[in-house]
Amino acid sequence: MLGLPVQLGMTDEQEAFREAVRRFIQTEVPLTKVRDLYESPEGHERAWWQQAARLGWTSLFVDERYGGGSLSGGQVRDAVILAEEIGRGLAPGPFLPVNVVAAGVSEHGSEALKEQLLPALVSGEAIAVWAFAERAGRWTVDGSESALEDTGDGLLLTGAKHYVEAAGSATHALVTARWRGLPTQVIVDLDGTGVSVRRGRSIDMVRRFGVIGFENALVEPDHVVGGLGEAAEAIQRQVQIAVALQCAELVGIADRTLEFTLDYGRDRFAFGRSILSFQALKHRIADMAQWLEASKALAGALAEAVDESDPDAMRLLHVAKAYVGDKATRIVDDCVQITGGIGVTWEHDIHMYNRRAALLRALYGSPEEHKEGLYRLLEATVGAGR
Amino acid sequence: MSDAARTETLGEFRRRSEDWIAANLPPRSAPPEDPVDLQRLLFDSGYAGIAFPEEYGGAGLTLEHQQVFYDLAHELGRQVPTGTALMVSVGMLGPTILDHGGHEAKSRFLPPLLRGDDLWIQLLSEPRGGSDMAGARTRLTRDGDSYVLSGSKMWSTGAHQSDYGLCLARTDWEAPKHRGLSMIAVPLAPATPGLVVQQTRSADGTMGDFCEEFFDDIILPSENLIGEENSGWAVAQTLLFHERNAVANVGYGYIGWDQSESSADAYEPRSLIGVARQRGVDGSALIRQLIADVFIEETVLPLTSARVMTGMTLGTHEGQWGSLLKLQESEAAIEKVRAALAACGAEGVIWEGDDIELDNPGTEWLLARGGTLSGGSSEMQRNIISERLLGLPREPSVERGLAFNEVLKRQEPSE
Repeated sequence: MLGLPVQLGMTDEQEAFREAVRRFIQTEVPLTKVRDLYESPEGHERAWWQQAARLGWTSLFVDERYGGGSLSGGQVRDAVILAEEIGRGLAPGPFLPVNVVAAGVSEHGSEALKEQLLPALVSGEAIAVWAFAERAGRWTVDGSESALEDTGDGLLLTGAKHYVEAAGSATHALVTARWRGLPTQVIVDLDGTGVSVRRGRSIDMVRRFGVIGFENALVEPDHVVGGLGEAAEAIQRQVQIAVALQCAELVGIADRTLEFTLDYGRDRFAFGRSILSFQALKHRIADMAQWLEASKALAGALAEAVDESDPDAMRLLHVAKAYVGDKATRIVDDCVQITGGIGVTWEHDIHMYNRRAALLRALYGSPEEHKEGLYRLLEATVGAGR
Repeated sequence: MSDAARTETLGEFRRRSEDWIAANLPPRSAPPEDPVDLQRLLFDSGYAGIAFPEEYGGAGLTLEHQQVFYDLAHELGRQVPTGTALMVSVGMLGPTILDHGGHEAKSRFLPPLLRGDDLWIQLLSEPRGGSDMAGARTRLTRDGDSYVLSGSKMWSTGAHQSDYGLCLARTDWEAPKHRGLSMIAVPLAPATPGLVVQQTRSADGTMGDFCEEFFDDIILPSENLIGEENSGWAVAQTLLFHERNAVANVGYGYIGWDQSESSADAYEPRSLIGVARQRGVDGSALIRQLIADVFIEETVLPLTSARVMTGMTLGTHEGQWGSLLKLQESEAAIEKVRAALAACGAEGVIWEGDDIELDNPGTEWLLARGGTLSGGSSEMQRNIISERLLGLPREPSVERGLAFNEVLKRQEPSE
């Protein structure tokens, strides 16, 4: 039962894509390579990223006119295949930020911006990241202190964006800010004046983060993505894409971790029997199998809801991140316990899975935050107090 | 599979069913029909036992056709036969008889079962313990052309209102415990000589659905045997398989996801939000998280079940997936009552007036564990998931290969 993908009944083309991605990760960035990249500043090699780009890692949300193309027409569903494999192999690279920006620009960018940015993103020459959260670490534009101002010199951006994935590798950022108090998104060239990048790391082996500061940074008029003050829906959709991919990646992490933990446990003998014959462990494992299957169902349903622009997608998103974020990290954690002492050493690979799961649990909102978000959505549908 | 399954595509079946459902099944908004009347209506129009062969009263189609039918009824907002009695009879016992019964038994028992005329239940657990079902001590002895049954069974749902019970009893006491069992159909009509059926009083004080049965040398014809003598354990396994599926709303027990049930529930998340607000505890992050958890589980369950159904159709999900769904569903139900207790506080357990029984979270709490115990405890489900779905090694057995008589001897206190 382990190893079953999020999406059942994939097309032959999707299956072939999954196979190709898995092989590529196994040969080009196996876990030994991930270990090698641990101390590198960027966490991935640029030539490798361009190789990954050629395989489709950057193109799924981009129209064919700009060099992109999806497999099935369901962009999120196709990207879920990748996200799951990235989770299984803990692959490096700015997969999530690049695809979220590609989706945002494809759907709302000006023609000039699309021509300028998308082909370079697709080829892997340019790396664009989403600069969304701020110091408070909340994944919403509400309360954003980054501001865009119309001045005689043009549109100027001032503010600081935190927890920006791959900030140190990026050439561009899609920045979420306020214009006259209204949600707005702009693409900023990170080489420009008034832009500073402070590199940072994360608990993950290879995913780097950073803070990007803007001090009267000039924004080209055609770099406004989707109209001044009109980005609220686009932001929500980007969050949906990000969380859908994240949930699929968490499923990949949990599935693979449980798989290698059971392989290991089967051959471990204690008190004269395989340790996996003890009910104390088997029953924990059965719970994990149930959580995993339910997580797969949720990740698949969310991908579909986002692809279909389901009006209930936000509610499902809260449910999915709350459930999958919690259960996937619990599965990895329980697997550490089953693995035994070696599970908390550098030598064993499981800490790398624990790292990635812990990162994804928090990024774009923790299960606790999503439960609160869900409560608020439900609360709004209950009549005023009696 | 019969000819009909080969000739009628799902699309054709869908078109014909749609018209029939629209013309014949009452809307959900109407007062609920008696489930047995609805079942008879289905049977008389060829829509009962959709995946059962025609010669035994079914429609001779497949489980996929059954799914199409009930999904349609759900989409069109129509009533279908619901309730435990029919679920047990049509979703669990019927398929078991179909899998193991001989031609005679199937011809005799299945048509009235599918029509809802005969309600069937299982007689498996015994007072000495429910989980170790193969340790049954009810005695079945051959006597010429007949069998004689003596012993007792417990935890049988609705026995007082049923027509037949499928009873697991021991025919060979010298064989190892799994190999000396047989399965036999027992008429439960009150007039059966030697039979006493008693309802069990539930923890909430009401007379529950559970019953205990006492058999004092009941004489049964040998044609009532389902499966071969001493192969009763295989029949029981099949029955448990169908039971888990029916509880999880997959397989023969599939009747569509009944959302009307959960939305009518006093402890569904929106009601709990209302209660928390009324009591002024809706600002508590802990309570908000608990209520969100209830909604999360309610969303996850049908999605997981739908995934498993899809997987069964595609062949990616084979075997005991009902156990996984049953575990998930019954454990989530406990958490739901826990959240209701938290949201309701004293209001959930104290009330005004002299009523001794009330529908409130406190009462619900007393019965909440029923779900994680009946139909195979959560622990048994976890064994099945880990051993059969994941292939983990079994616990070593202290009984393997021993004659059942010997097993019993060893259980006796040593002094």
